Amino acid sequence: MTAPVAQSVKPPRRSLLNWFLGAAIVGWAASVLYPVLRYLRPLGEAGAGGPLKLSGDELATLGKSHFVIARSGTRKVLVFEAGGDLRALDAKCTHEGCTVQFVPGDSLVWCACHNGKFDIDGRVLSGPPPRPLAKWVATREGNDVVLTMEKA
Amino acid sequence: MIEARPEGAPGTVGERLYRWLDARFGVSKVVEFARHKEVPVGGHSMVWYYLGGTTLFFFAVQVVSGVLLLMYYQPGEATSYESIRYITTKVPFGWLIRSVHCWSAHLMILSLVVHMFSTMILKAYRKPRELTWVTGFVLFAIALGFGFSGYLLPWNELAFFATAVGTDSVKSVPIIGQWLLEVMRGGPDVTINTLYRFFALHIVILPLVMLGIVSAHLLFIQVQGMAPGMAHQRPDRPGLKFFPDFLLRDLLLWLVCLILLAVLVYLLPYGPGIPGMEWELGKKANPLAPAYPGIKPEWYFLWVYQLLKEFPPHLAGMEGPQAALLVVTVLMGIWALVPWLDRRASKGKPSPRFTDLAIAAIIFMAYLTLKAWDIGGNAQPGKLPDPRSTAWVCAWITLGIASVIALVRLLAYRQRWMYFSGAALLQVVLNGVFGVDYLLAGAVAVVVAVAGVVMTSRKDPAVQLGVPK
Repeated sequence: MTAPVAQSVKPPRRSLLNWFLGAAIVGWAASVLYPVLRYLRPLGEAGAGGPLKLSGDELATLGKSHFVIARSGTRKVLVFEAGGDLRALDAKCTHEGCTVQFVPGDSLVWCACHNGKFDIDGRVLSGPPPRPLAKWVATREGNDVVLTMEKA
Repeated sequence: MIEARPEGAPGTVGERLYRWLDARFGVSKVVEFARHKEVPVGGHSMVWYYLGGTTLFFFAVQVVSGVLLLMYYQPGEATSYESIRYITTKVPFGWLIRSVHCWSAHLMILSLVVHMFSTMILKAYRKPRELTWVTGFVLFAIALGFGFSGYLLPWNELAFFATAVGTDSVKSVPIIGQWLLEVMRGGPDVTINTLYRFFALHIVILPLVMLGIVSAHLLFIQVQGMAPGMAHQRPDRPGLKFFPDFLLRDLLLWLVCLILLAVLVYLLPYGPGIPGMEWELGKKANPLAPAYPGIKPEWYFLWVYQLLKEFPPHLAGMEGPQAALLVVTVLMGIWALVPWLDRRASKGKPSPRFTDLAIAAIIFMAYLTLKAWDIGGNAQPGKLPDPRSTAWVCAWITLGIASVIALVRLLAYRQRWMYFSGAALLQVVLNGVFGVDYLLAGAVAVVVAVAGVVMTSRKDPAVQLGVPK
């Protein structure tokens, strides 16, 4: 074997091997990382968004403080009485996700975290929230209050 | 010279032990290194050299008090809040341990922030210490992570909403935002699953990372020594011996810190009662309660909190919070890359622009923080503070502080390059005094700052400003 031949053959073979080695390392790292990343993301919770009936305690709170926050699956719903009507909006502020409240005196929905204000239909009145609050339909059925998501 | 003797030679127990270790591990090399270790003297006040040490001291207090809290704390829906209440009301000296942990956390961040700003103003980040700055910046980020994750663990109302807002903001991250949000929260919303994850973060992950990076930070300082003052301000003076001269001063200061901590803990066990600096347990977190009026994050997050309030719902095709956090990210990125941006300092030349950048950052954050505290807003029970009068009062306070800083810089240090701090102050005045929209005022300030840079680089390429002739 002469030296010039060895020199002309060796570099491509080595770079090919290096490429294989690199690909194997990347593949190995991916096969280790993927299960970890998948493990970290929790499973979704079932039962979100179905019709919801307010409990006796929630009805009592509604009567007392003019609003109540109820849970429907993973969503929180603000139910309040404005002008004799029963209304319901998503309780999660569209700005940074704080929980909003109904201010009966001013007849508006307010988020205490960054002073976002919405009207009773969920439209943004002032402050930083970028989107309106999603509407729910609240209906009285006898003594019960039933909430359903409004079809978009 | 004890190390010159052979291993078996007679001597005291200490000497014989030393020689035994030296024969095996070469301890004398370390001792030789320590003997020659010096702290530079004369470039500027020595005070600034102690702040990394005090930060480390408060971190050590955090480790010890944190481990002690762990003896009683139980994470869980029905136990987190209850165990903290048990610690503070029933466990002998439990109030003390928790209060030490809270106070020391705030003092650690305070010490770290002053350390960072002094490093910035004295240009200690310049070549060859770029990586010391970057590791320091990462440590700053980790310290904020510690504060944020520790906040949730008592599972009280404040913790719940602070975490809801803080984690909600990661949804602004492009592409992986939603994934990141669910990974952080352990689900789409803040629940007890979030607390489990934050618990792991606070007591295992962050301490490990912190320890690793603190080690690198300290190693860099050992290899390169502490940064001397800049050439134009450094008279030739002999350095101060680290062992024992500087170390003893360090230890003495740590003792003073411990006494300060003890006094604060004794007098104000639940903090000074300033919003963002109090740790009364309050009510247990109730995911179905609305956020309460006056809710605020920790003091070192207040400027971001206020920035989120200042941004409109939509800006440049982005939602407001997304745009606000982009601005914060860009500012933080600039801050982290300062050693490479500041080319003059890395060549050992004076760089007044970066001194001024630090002052501008202080003005920018001070105004937002004062506003976040609603100072001058005349808040009364049942009545929200008035944002206009808050802005007015806060602008005048900031103007006062900034004027004092500018006077001191001008008279005592003969610094003249003040376009960045001037621009920052202009934004404050336009917004607070004249009622111009915050972002519009900010845009005017950016134009002024850029104009200042362009004008001064054309007029005087050497930027001799700020150098006493």
